[in-house]
Amino acid sequence: MPPRLTCSAHSSVGRALLRTTTSSTRVPILLVQNAAKITSRQYATAGSPMPLSALRLPDNYIPPTQPPSARRPEERKAQLLRSYTALLRSTPLMLFFQHNNLTAVEWAAVRRELRAALVEVPSPVAGPDGSVPVDISSSIELQVLRTRMFSIACKIVDYFKPEDQVEKSNAYTHDLSKTAYESIKEATVDESSTYGQINPLIMGPVAAVTFPSVSPVHLAAVLKILSPSPPAFPAPTRRKSPGYHDPIAQSGFQKLILVGGRIEGKAFDNDGVKWVGGIQGGLDGLRAQLVSLLQNAGLGLTTALEGHSKGLWLALEGRRTQLEEESNGGKEGNAENETNV
Amino acid sequence: MITRFITEVNTRFNPFSVRSRATRLFLTYLPPNARAQGMQIKTTLLPRTSAEPNTLSVKFKDGKDMKLDGETLGIKGIIEEVDRHSRALQKQADLSEN
Repeated sequence: MPPRLTCSAHSSVGRALLRTTTSSTRVPILLVQNAAKITSRQYATAGSPMPLSALRLPDNYIPPTQPPSARRPEERKAQLLRSYTALLRSTPLMLFFQHNNLTAVEWAAVRRELRAALVEVPSPVAGPDGSVPVDISSSIELQVLRTRMFSIACKIVDYFKPEDQVEKSNAYTHDLSKTAYESIKEATVDESSTYGQINPLIMGPVAAVTFPSVSPVHLAAVLKILSPSPPAFPAPTRRKSPGYHDPIAQSGFQKLILVGGRIEGKAFDNDGVKWVGGIQGGLDGLRAQLVSLLQNAGLGLTTALEGHSKGLWLALEGRRTQLEEESNGGKEGNAENETNV
Repeated sequence: MITRFITEVNTRFNPFSVRSRATRLFLTYLPPNARAQGMQIKTTLLPRTSAEPNTLSVKFKDGKDMKLDGETLGIKGIIEEVDRHSRALQKQADLSEN
């Protein structure tokens, strides 16, 4: 940057006076200022007395705006992986479908019918405290997964705990970091873990229906459309939704196979998913069932405990009246009974 | 894969088993218009805990019923077996046309 001269229109009156009166003394001051600025600008160049090594960044320096990734940027599918881990962490209910060569029009028809069925699900009623739960039906989506990416994202979610990496110095703990990569590489997968069970499902062409919360009503609506099983989840009738029986939509539904689900971080098979879909009244319904179960148990316990003492009392009372009758004779006993009555 | 001569496909597999891979992938090799052309495809899913073997049976136009073991063959082996018979049928069809 060239040295700034005082030549602007906003120069003050004092400076103008100075220029007119002592113009001869002005020049040396400027020169001195220039010289000082030139030396200051040369400070950081190669000619400076400071050693070059002191100015170099350390080798393990990581720019804060560009965190390191496990892969090279040009072949990075980082965004996909991050979106999958975020999806897995935020989605408690997920259904996996194998899709066998659906055409684009069939996909469109399947999505259209799914949307139409979810719109018909009654919106949630306000709770006792007046708060209305969020209507999730517009956020339930059917999306095709990249299976390998999704499998790795599952592994990261299950085996990489950023809390354990805090004590490591200079270690990033995001999902794309080297620590995450190393920890999932070291992890030993056993069959009983969630990842071990989900992993065989995520194979071949797989699509997922994602629910932002566990809502059996919405799950039942989705199952009725995508994987109908007549007694519990019948397909919609031809009169009610003619679009469902459209030949294109039907051929789309025939190619979708429900292979399993992931509910609250656990793997569920077909029957398990149908069981969750069959819960009446959702989580509140389950709570009500539990309350009634506990109440009934209490009632049963009290009657059972009462029963013995009652029986004993009845037996003793019966024996007492019998003894009284024997000792006093039948007539008095009858008279007593009559007076008691 | 030549699917012209297949009339029926019956599969039965447990998706939670790693060995069901080839059987599941065979379904993806059937063309999108397979059902429209009269092929019958039936899939039965086994529950997660079942230890039954995965089965895949393919019926051809000449009445041959081919039972394939997806656990040992692999998807390439299955396609090879199916194509071997399909090629013979193709040859017969070509000769009879002429």
